[in-house]
Amino acid sequence: MILGIVCAVLITAASLFYIFYLPGELYLGPEKTRASYLRERKDVVYENLRDLNFEYRAGKVPDTDYQSLKANLQDEAAGLLAEIAQLESGAIPAPRKARS
Amino acid sequence: MAFIGNFALLLAFALSVYCFGAGVLALLSPDEPNSQRLSETARRAGIVVFGAVFLAAVALVVSAFRDDFTIAYIFHHSNRDLPTPYKFATLWSGQEGSILFWCLLLSAYAFVLRLRYKTDPRLFAYASVVVAGVQIFFLALVNFAANPFGLLEGPLRPDGSGLNPLLQYPEMVIHPPMLYMGYVGFTVPFAFALGALIMKYPGEKWIHITRRWTMVTWGFLTCGIFLGSHWAYSVLGWGGYWGWDPVENASLMPWLVGTAFLHSVMMQEKRGMLKVWNMWLVFACFWLAILGTFLTRSGIISSVHAFAQSSIGSWFAWFLGITFAVFVFFFVLNHKHLRSDNKLEGMISRESSFLFNNLLFLLLTLDVLWGTWFPKISELVQGNKVTVGAPFYNRVAIPVALILLLLTALGPLLAWRKTSLESLKRNFTWPFTVALIIALFVMLTPTSWGSIFGLKPWHDVSYFYSLMTIFLSALVAFTVGSEFYRGGRVIAEKTGQGMFASMVQLTHRNTRRYGGYIVHFGVVLVMIGFSGSALNQDKEAELGYGDHMQIGSYDLVCRSYTQDDNANQETEWALMDVYQNGQLVRTMTPQRIFYKASQQASTKPDIDQGFKEDLYLVYEGQNDKGQPVIKAHLNPMVIWIWIGAWVMIIGTGLALVENAPVPVTVRVPRMMEHAAPVAGD
Repeated sequence: MILGIVCAVLITAASLFYIFYLPGELYLGPEKTRASYLRERKDVVYENLRDLNFEYRAGKVPDTDYQSLKANLQDEAAGLLAEIAQLESGAIPAPRKARS
Repeated sequence: MAFIGNFALLLAFALSVYCFGAGVLALLSPDEPNSQRLSETARRAGIVVFGAVFLAAVALVVSAFRDDFTIAYIFHHSNRDLPTPYKFATLWSGQEGSILFWCLLLSAYAFVLRLRYKTDPRLFAYASVVVAGVQIFFLALVNFAANPFGLLEGPLRPDGSGLNPLLQYPEMVIHPPMLYMGYVGFTVPFAFALGALIMKYPGEKWIHITRRWTMVTWGFLTCGIFLGSHWAYSVLGWGGYWGWDPVENASLMPWLVGTAFLHSVMMQEKRGMLKVWNMWLVFACFWLAILGTFLTRSGIISSVHAFAQSSIGSWFAWFLGITFAVFVFFFVLNHKHLRSDNKLEGMISRESSFLFNNLLFLLLTLDVLWGTWFPKISELVQGNKVTVGAPFYNRVAIPVALILLLLTALGPLLAWRKTSLESLKRNFTWPFTVALIIALFVMLTPTSWGSIFGLKPWHDVSYFYSLMTIFLSALVAFTVGSEFYRGGRVIAEKTGQGMFASMVQLTHRNTRRYGGYIVHFGVVLVMIGFSGSALNQDKEAELGYGDHMQIGSYDLVCRSYTQDDNANQETEWALMDVYQNGQLVRTMTPQRIFYKASQQASTKPDIDQGFKEDLYLVYEGQNDKGQPVIKAHLNPMVIWIWIGAWVMIIGTGLALVENAPVPVTVRVPRMMEHAAPVAGD
């Protein structure tokens, strides 16, 4: 029983030390902005274009479908790039660092 | 050990409360100078919870190995002569231990989540708080309502009551952990979804993170469900693998909704559609997993798999109510954030096939939910309990499964946004023709070729379903095969590699898609296995020395019957010689085992498994003359279910592998001069 109590005290002390002793800097990561959202969206549209090209070359998509789908995706990508360019004329937030 | 176990559980509970409280405070006041420090202490407290719960679980297992019968749980679920692997299984074989095991798995998932916080610290902080909320519930349960370290009252007993005989089977050492990892794992996608909803997370990255967790969880649940089916088939001795039992249904429902989510999530990732739908699907997965636990543990619905009736049912009912209320509150508050970016453009498109697929999965889930709860509902409404059986479920499940198979065949052939009929015709004609030829071949071939051949759909509706399953399975197999072939051919032309190497490279370039196709191929094999059930046969006979019984093409002869005895069990068994076309092909030994510690009996069927059919013998008991009563089942195609399950799990594993980079340029917008090069085909 005494051994058990000693173990419990030691485990509690070690846990509290680990939880509350915070030396150094904390990682906060980059701020999520409209521009970063648009960049994610742009990557998805590019990936969709890549998939479409591949399916076309594999013979799954007829030429007429391919041209129309490709034009739609290109228009979507153009819109996204235009908005990103507009936002990037301002400052893009750098990753934040906080001191503990 | 009881002291250490209790201490560890209390520490874990206290730290979970801190993790939740401090995490909420930090998220409520993000601009306060100390909020980041507070958030970090919450995260670290969550990490320590895993250590504490792990310590409690180790304490319980060590108690089982030390035969510490001062602990009531160990006394009720173990005994001195229990073989070593089953001493591990003691951890999850009873109510209290299995909740501790649930806490352990949840803490392990949360531990990984909290370690990977750098992916997106703010989103992970929200998810961590939600997980901590769930942890508080389960740790409260294990501390205050179902404590596995409670001490046995009265004098110390020399030996324990032993493990439930049905659980003394090798698969039972891995089936519950797999199933639990599936159940518990749905907490993580739910936590991300609720976190993203609360914080109005911009974009779909959260769903990308959630999808991977869901795939892992779905893989474990798939594994758990099939292990459970195999266990039921190999141990319960009724000759089947799925009985639409409430507890089986409880595991099926989150699996069905999880499968729907894994499909519909692609629409959100690729097109920014179905955001509200996906949010509800993730919640439904989690909620149905908890509901399943409630069903298993409350004793509200009787089942061979359920734990005994207990008071913890009300705890679960409250928890289900609270989680529903919290989710609905935040959904109503922030639902405008979930507006779709795009609309459905064509009825023949990949999106529409996913939409139909989702509606069918939902219909199937509602059918299973209604059938599972029907005894309780009928009791409340009419005053008497009415249980529904396989015909009720099959009436909906079989047609829906067939339409889902058709969609599985069509899906890969459809393009995103819209597909012309010309394109569909071009891609669909030859797989359809080949599948039709196969179905006609199966229908017209004489039955002497095997029980699956010569199916005449006009003789019985179950034959019609079996034949349709074979036709649609062939269709899926050929469309999936054509996807690999077409993609492989493009790469082969470009790189000059052989076809097989090109297909491997193709899979590595888009593991999610081609891993998914392999899962579909596994589903095809499973469905072929299911289709054999229409042709099941069974016979029962009392057999003396040298007596015969005939089933299918087999002649069974009882060579002898006897019994055996050891410290753990008494066994009765029959020695059956199996002849086919006059040749001795095998000797089988169906058994009946009486476990001494628990004073319970169990059958142990002997199964001769083959690619065409299983011969399944059960020792039912003895007649008045002391002769064995043998029941023989002939179950066609069952082995394909287990092979299909393996293929599904391999496909899931493959889908989790990172894609290989593809260094090609795609020119994108006409109007943007500075378009960046991207990974292309």
